[in-house]
Amino acid sequence: MMTSKLTKKDLNQSIARSCGCSFSWGYEKQGNMAYAYAMIPILKKLYTTKEKMAEALKRHLAFYNVTNQCMTFNLGISAAMEEEASENEEFDTSAINQTKVALMGPISGIGDAFFWGTFKIIATAVGTTFALQGNILGPILFFLIYNIPAFAIRIGLMNAGYKFGTAFLSSAENNQTMSRILKGATILGLFVVGGMCASLVNLNIVFQVSDGANTQTISDLLNSIMPCLTSLLVFALTYFGIVVKKMKPLTMIILMTLISIVGAFFGILG
Amino acid sequence: MIGVAILLGITAFALMVIEYAGGRNFITQPIMVGFIVGLVMGDLKTGIIVGATLELAFLGATSIGAVIPPDAMTGSLLGVAFVINAGASAESALVLALPIASLALIFKNFYYGYIASLFQRKADRHAEEGNYKGIERVHWMTGLGMAAMLGILVMISYAAGSNAMSAVLNAIPGFVQTGLNVAIGLLPAIGFSMLARTMLSKSNVHIFLCGFALVAYSKLPILGVAIFGVVLAMILVQAEKEKTTVMAGGDDDDF
Repeated sequence: MMTSKLTKKDLNQSIARSCGCSFSWGYEKQGNMAYAYAMIPILKKLYTTKEKMAEALKRHLAFYNVTNQCMTFNLGISAAMEEEASENEEFDTSAINQTKVALMGPISGIGDAFFWGTFKIIATAVGTTFALQGNILGPILFFLIYNIPAFAIRIGLMNAGYKFGTAFLSSAENNQTMSRILKGATILGLFVVGGMCASLVNLNIVFQVSDGANTQTISDLLNSIMPCLTSLLVFALTYFGIVVKKMKPLTMIILMTLISIVGAFFGILG
Repeated sequence: MIGVAILLGITAFALMVIEYAGGRNFITQPIMVGFIVGLVMGDLKTGIIVGATLELAFLGATSIGAVIPPDAMTGSLLGVAFVINAGASAESALVLALPIASLALIFKNFYYGYIASLFQRKADRHAEEGNYKGIERVHWMTGLGMAAMLGILVMISYAAGSNAMSAVLNAIPGFVQTGLNVAIGLLPAIGFSMLARTMLSKSNVHIFLCGFALVAYSKLPILGVAIFGVVLAMILVQAEKEKTTVMAGGDDDDF
């Protein structure tokens, strides 16, 4: 059984750092750096050797994106799993990232609905009513109505995630159960990544082809075979380049930009 | 004029840092920006009213899909500042705000797409060496760089005036703007490929395709995808469990 190395203080530091969730954001890997940044107080406590630290940092630098305020739920679970990994040599560390990937979609789905769809709308409705009359209460109420629940949830989710993670790990000591859970997490993760590929990767080939009677763009044509087919092709080519041909991400970024700008110049892409 | 421009630039920088290092607390929403610019420029009431007007105007411009709307922060900051400075109406703030908001969006997209990726490489190198201090530094540099860029943009824009900004916006060739937008639709494929590298194999590529097809055909929101994913995972794990149980002679006490 686990003896808890992590203290309340470590988790609190991680909560404070989770506020930087969108600070180092970028299109390529989105919130990954902020995630690693928020995990550092925990990793520092658990790993003393350079090699272990490097492994852990690399894990937490993988692509990640979530509703800002809900990041702490993932952090809590990761903290519990890292704690287990630091004590149990047999623990499969790839499970840490797979759990993260499997959970980021569902958490964002719920989180976005709450924060962007509910709290923000209420705060805006109340705030603008006062502010349109020049009343200083407008901006103040807007800020408080949104942020009081937002920070309460951020703090609560860290503790919930950590408790959930620890309780789960201590009940799943059995190797077989653990490997099944891991398999389930991989399935869920891949399924969600597949879905996100369809919604976030976009390419519109606006070049027109005509068969005399009808004129349509190449994208329309491809989409009539299967919607988002171009997104799938883009993903397949990128995967081929990065994983099979081992291209550097930066090379890929430059290549994509050149293709996009040249494509736009000739009116093929848009 | 120059003094106010510098002051507004610093305000933009500070607001970006407070917003993004402070848990996305919405201090860069037009309603807050109007309030703060009103304080800075000494006309609180106008600031609050124009801020609220712009808040409602930008409400319709919230992100559709993966498209990020024109940058409301820089737009409303300058819109409010121009209105207070020229004594114009609250409605005219939007006309003044939009060219700058659009220009800021181009800069932001460039930063998110390219500068952030350069920092990403640095972070990877630090991770390789187990140097967590390096990652902390890069995290701050990435965020502060974005804030500084927008701060400088606001400063120059205020000093140059709204018309000059429209001219700059028009001077960027259309195909470059279109091309950058196309590239933004492609870049996430890199992140997904890196992620899939550790998970995807010949034996499970159909699961990836299943999730893909579900969204492609139904445009299901991500929470719906996750629910189907959980169900699929449960079915597959359950099926495997039954198979091994039968083969092992039915001794199973896991649950």
